Amino acid sequence: MAPYDDWNRVDEDEEDELQDAAFFDAKKDVILFCIDCSPSMLALRPDPENETKNTSHLYAALNSAMNLQKRKVVTGPNDSFGILLFNTTRKPDTPRTQGSEIKKNMFLYQPIGPISAPTIQELIQLLNAAQEDSDEIQKQFPPCDSRVAMGDVFTSCNWVIRDGAPKTATKRVFLITDEDDPHPSSKQLKISAQTTLEDLAQAGVVVEPFFIQSEDRPFDVTKFYSSVLQTNAFADDVDSDPSILNQSISVSRIEDLLSQMKFREVAKRALFNIPFELAKGLTIGVKGYGLVTEQKKGEYKYFVDLGDRLEAATVKTGQLDEDRDVEVDKSNIVYGMAVVGAAPSNDDAEDDSMAATKVVKSGQRPFYTADEMRSFRTLGLEPGLKLLGFKPRDTLKFEDNVKHSLFLYPEENTYAGSKRTFSALLKSMIKKKVVGLARGVLRRNSTPTIYAVLPQEEDVDEMEPAGFHIIPLPFADDIRSAPIDEGYIASDDLKDKARAWINKMTIKSGYVPDSYPNPALAFHYDQLEASAFREEFNPDAFEDLTEPNVDLIHAKAGKLLKEWKVELADDHSATLVIPVTGSKRKSEDTSNDGIDVAEIKTRFESGSLMKLKVDQLKAFCRSQNLSTSGKKADLIQRVEDWCNSH
Amino acid sequence: MVAERAGYTVTMFVVDVSKSMGATRTVALPPGPNGEERFAEMTHLQYALQYVKFKIQDMIYGARKTDQCGVVIFGTEETDNQINAQHGGYENVTEYIPIGTPSAATLRELDELEPSEVFGDPVDAMIVAVEAQNKHLGKKKTWTRKVILVTDGEGPIELEDWEATANKLNELTIALTVVGVDFDDQEFDYVQRDKPDFKRVNEEFFRNQFCPKVNDSVIGNLDRVLEQISLPDVKTSRSTLMNNVLRIGDVDTRTEEAMEILVKTCKCTSINRPKAFKKFAIRPKTAQEEEAEQQTMNADDGDENKVVTVTYAQLKARTEYYVDKSDGQEDEEEQVKTEEDGEPRPEDLEKVEKEELIRGFKYGTSYVPCPEGQFPKLPTKKGIDLIGFIPEKKFRREYAMGEVQYIWGNPDNPTAQCALSSVVQAMYEKGVLAVGRWVTGDGRDPRMGVMSPALFEKVHCLLWVPMPFADDVRKYTFPSLDELRNKKGEIVSEHAYLPTEKQLEAMDDFVDAMDLMQAGDKDEQGNRTEWLDIRDSYNPSFHRLKQAMFHCAVVSDLDTNPLPPPHPELLKYLNPPKKFVKKAQSTIDNCIKVFNIKHVPKVVKVARKDGHNHANDDDDEMLLLDRKPSTSKPSQSQSQAKISSKPAEDGSETEDDDEDGMLIDKAEPAPRPNPLPTPARSLNNDDDMDIDPQRDPDRVIGRTNPLADFRANLERGDIVTKVVEDMSAVIQEVILAPFASRRSKEMIECLIELREVCLQEDEVDAWNSFLPSLKRMCIDSSPGNKVFWSEVRNVGRALSLISDKEAEKNGGSSQFSEMQATEVFSEVNCDCSQGPIRIY
Repeated sequence: MAPYDDWNRVDEDEEDELQDAAFFDAKKDVILFCIDCSPSMLALRPDPENETKNTSHLYAALNSAMNLQKRKVVTGPNDSFGILLFNTTRKPDTPRTQGSEIKKNMFLYQPIGPISAPTIQELIQLLNAAQEDSDEIQKQFPPCDSRVAMGDVFTSCNWVIRDGAPKTATKRVFLITDEDDPHPSSKQLKISAQTTLEDLAQAGVVVEPFFIQSEDRPFDVTKFYSSVLQTNAFADDVDSDPSILNQSISVSRIEDLLSQMKFREVAKRALFNIPFELAKGLTIGVKGYGLVTEQKKGEYKYFVDLGDRLEAATVKTGQLDEDRDVEVDKSNIVYGMAVVGAAPSNDDAEDDSMAATKVVKSGQRPFYTADEMRSFRTLGLEPGLKLLGFKPRDTLKFEDNVKHSLFLYPEENTYAGSKRTFSALLKSMIKKKVVGLARGVLRRNSTPTIYAVLPQEEDVDEMEPAGFHIIPLPFADDIRSAPIDEGYIASDDLKDKARAWINKMTIKSGYVPDSYPNPALAFHYDQLEASAFREEFNPDAFEDLTEPNVDLIHAKAGKLLKEWKVELADDHSATLVIPVTGSKRKSEDTSNDGIDVAEIKTRFESGSLMKLKVDQLKAFCRSQNLSTSGKKADLIQRVEDWCNSH
Repeated sequence: MVAERAGYTVTMFVVDVSKSMGATRTVALPPGPNGEERFAEMTHLQYALQYVKFKIQDMIYGARKTDQCGVVIFGTEETDNQINAQHGGYENVTEYIPIGTPSAATLRELDELEPSEVFGDPVDAMIVAVEAQNKHLGKKKTWTRKVILVTDGEGPIELEDWEATANKLNELTIALTVVGVDFDDQEFDYVQRDKPDFKRVNEEFFRNQFCPKVNDSVIGNLDRVLEQISLPDVKTSRSTLMNNVLRIGDVDTRTEEAMEILVKTCKCTSINRPKAFKKFAIRPKTAQEEEAEQQTMNADDGDENKVVTVTYAQLKARTEYYVDKSDGQEDEEEQVKTEEDGEPRPEDLEKVEKEELIRGFKYGTSYVPCPEGQFPKLPTKKGIDLIGFIPEKKFRREYAMGEVQYIWGNPDNPTAQCALSSVVQAMYEKGVLAVGRWVTGDGRDPRMGVMSPALFEKVHCLLWVPMPFADDVRKYTFPSLDELRNKKGEIVSEHAYLPTEKQLEAMDDFVDAMDLMQAGDKDEQGNRTEWLDIRDSYNPSFHRLKQAMFHCAVVSDLDTNPLPPPHPELLKYLNPPKKFVKKAQSTIDNCIKVFNIKHVPKVVKVARKDGHNHANDDDDEMLLLDRKPSTSKPSQSQSQAKISSKPAEDGSETEDDDEDGMLIDKAEPAPRPNPLPTPARSLNNDDDMDIDPQRDPDRVIGRTNPLADFRANLERGDIVTKVVEDMSAVIQEVILAPFASRRSKEMIECLIELREVCLQEDEVDAWNSFLPSLKRMCIDSSPGNKVFWSEVRNVGRALSLISDKEAEKNGGSSQFSEMQATEVFSEVNCDCSQGPIRIY
């Protein structure tokens, strides 16, 4: 079967909704890991995960880099990586003839290049070797005596990126170090660091620092970095006030490095930047982000076997006039309903065999232009959100959902004062426990939608930013009516028995997505990785974390579940004949021929199932979610299979 | 409302084509391009067929094979129907279109109908239609049967035996609709004047005798019906029930303690997308066609009916595959380039047939062939596994990712219903939601989701909504909105980004005033009701596109017969009710005042090739264009600037200054040599300009032509503090940059103007702290620019600190005396009591 995407693809011309995946794919992300190799980074410490082993900060940093590259295969397969080490005396293995010439005591371990299986494997081999012999990393990258000037580090980063990164990509340097004051006595070096960082910013490169602190060695950003990093232009936060300290500086323990990186794994990009009109004359600027979007398997590509290598095929899709075999330029395409009143010459021909045509008098225009189509779709509205009003929070129902939400954060560039207004609105809505309702057209060609505007309070500890979630609400056209309006209601006794085991199965923390990595996706990528690494994939080693923890369920609630089942069996409804006689949905002709489970089992054991009528067998199958198709023999077979397994 | 079973319907259209249907009428068309009224002349038949065609189009649009129709016409000169063939009688009735799923051809055939010269009997025609319908459906009881009669009621009706016909309709549970051309209609408030007597009799027969006798019948006026069908129509479709099982615990090995509840699932919400339009293009004429056309034109010179035609051909999508077979031995650099440009050079591309292609995936730069199109899938077992329960309060509504589903206990299995009901009730009582893992079928990919208890009056069920996997959540960092820190790391309590008490109050009032719970119409008791009910909200886009599609299918020229405007129902939720907004206007006005949001005009770049020239008036003019009229008078700018730098009325000067600073922060960042692909680009915010003014993102003054920027910005009047601050910064940067000596003259000029402005605009402190800092930068820092400082010193008094006397003259104050003012130029390092303060 073709992957889901193949047949469920929405025609982009027709419905240019937020295709965030495509949007993200279009932009490449380049990450240069720039890792400190100082003696303290190399110092061996007990491995928290394995007491018999020693590890170092550098090992952890390289390990994080490797893991991030692996993850990027999923989230950004077109992205590029590089690894630059500083404060090491390691020399390049081969004198470079061209490309990056970098400063002394720095080593370009991996030049910038697209993610590739060999480079990841190389890194894995190094890490494995270090597992065997904890001195391996130190041997590979011997530290140097004095620290390299940070200015030189930034300059080298600039050179490396200039050589390897495509122009249009977002470029970032992940700086990993545990030294909070590299140049305690030299103001000069501090200024040069500042200047070189400015050059980096000029080249569109953002430095994302990951500062490592440990109990014995705290990291004080104010000593050196807070002033140096001030000039660091964050690609997305260009509006940040220079007088305010940049908060994206993270200081963490080495164990948290990978989870910290996860926050920056994907370069933060806004999906849209639109005005939000609270009322006429009261408009603020907002940017929208997709914080929850379904991550799908990458689509398969087509390759051609050229004998010596595989080459990816370029796919071109065009619109074709089939009879003439001519491709039509996009600008000449007009839109309409399938043809009515074909040309007289086509009258006798079969309708499907030829390309349908419509003949009109010269000068007449029977179809819509692309612009007209857009105006029908948007109803002539320009991109933007417009507040309609507020309602109590509890009016936003569980079932009023069709799509994932988006996140709004204020933007000062177009409307000065957006932040304070946004902030005031947020506070007021939280205080009054209300949700907003807004009409929005998020992009030039998207359809007007009504959104619930849900405020989110800032929680610094949980890394929850302040902002609004906008939740697209269904239209009446999207709401299906309930097909069932009557059924058996359990007694209070039974309900109490159910409550007993429900009490034991409560997850207090709520639904935490991190606990549930998508197993189908992981299964796919594990196989892809094994294939790329030319390794054997072992499906038995795969662990699906989304499966219920049945051992725990039985340990905690097993007995109570059993009691509930006993009560259910005693419940009056369990002994009723099947199907439900009281239900008005049942057509009358089958209701009288109902049969219950006990009778089926008795007849099965006595081998007299054959004596039952087809209608009775069908009724039983229906009640057990079994298929009712086929002849009597098929039905009996099905019932027998059921009896064997129950 | 109980939804009809979608499809499974046979509709018989019984259409009158009698002589009287040939009468013409004038029909209003949507206004022309200039709003002029327009009319069209058409026959009653053509008018009536609009209705029939609309109904049939709706069926075509729905594209259900089981939504079928047939057309019987009466008043035809010939007779062609089954009953006539077998039993005789039933004359002038023709089974025009046999029952089937309608297509474009059906509409085409309807278009060919012409009024006849005779009359036919509507009851006869109905009998023929019902008979054909019954024959077609045979014993299929579950199908819905409909008969729609369209007539002007001007022909004779055989009034014998009509009751038998009505009974037959009831017997077969047929729904009858009678649509009459110019029928009187009380509800529609329409009475036809000069109605012929026999028509009145016929109308009364339908209205008072025939229809009341039929159990399920409606009668209406054609105009009214046509108006009604233009209303958006929500198709309430009933969802299909799917088998599944809700599993609790380990049902394989611990059966006693585990449970399987047989359930049926179906959709609760499902996005209804508009049907795709077909693509067309004008087919160019071939040379032969051209010639043939020319010949006929010449030959039939006298025949005026010959017209030139244009052919539109429907297009089909074609996908072609190309491969770059050129030698892969290119050096690496080349490869990077092709990768960057996205597409290889066209001359290397070679077309490949799809059959030759191998499917596979990319792992970074490596290709992994996978001929099946996918790897073996995760082995999964059909069912909804219960993972646990979460407190309702912990449910994050924004995580809900998609369409909602119902989960019902199997309607044929009371045990399952009871079991589910007990769980639903217990969950509701305890206030918890269930977490589950849903697999639609063996081997299908699992989805995580949350189930909420739903207690209807007579049945209990669960509602499921999909939740994100770990992979689906993107974690971005956003700066805090509340906690701003200054450079020293201290928390700032007053800032332009932070709302003040007054602003918070204004917003509270606004939120209260915009409460929609009282914004709707009054109910019977006269109480205001809630406004905006999504259950009553039409998807405007969906219905508008549908309307457009129908329209273009029936008209041949959209320029003379354009699409009518959207139905008002579609637009009702696009804006809040006018009255409601009017009531809230005072709080809105207050918010506008206290929040003082300013739309930041796109800063017009004032860069010129000859960077040293003075700004001329043209530039100012350019700037003015972007400004609001009130601030655009240059004569006012001076006084305005003064006002803005004085303490504001509400006593918070800092705030006001920040305001000014902020305004400039909004300046569109100058395009850098490597512009970052920010999403703003999609909104066409890009400034097109030749020279980079080297204006940093948060600055109003660039390094390319600071003096021009400086003057231009001062013209704007309200941002003096920011202008001064940026100018100071830019001067420092320029003189410390390499080759600064080339620009020293220009910089001295800048300094002189800066000092002048500081003096006049009460920015004395700014200058007095800037100058010592400049000195330090020149002398103490490395490389510094000692030469420049000596030039400044040579200028002397005109660039000294501003003294108290000077300041006083201009209405300001200074801590330096006349003597101290020039001390800054002494070789001995003066004691600068103030450090280099950055003003913002």
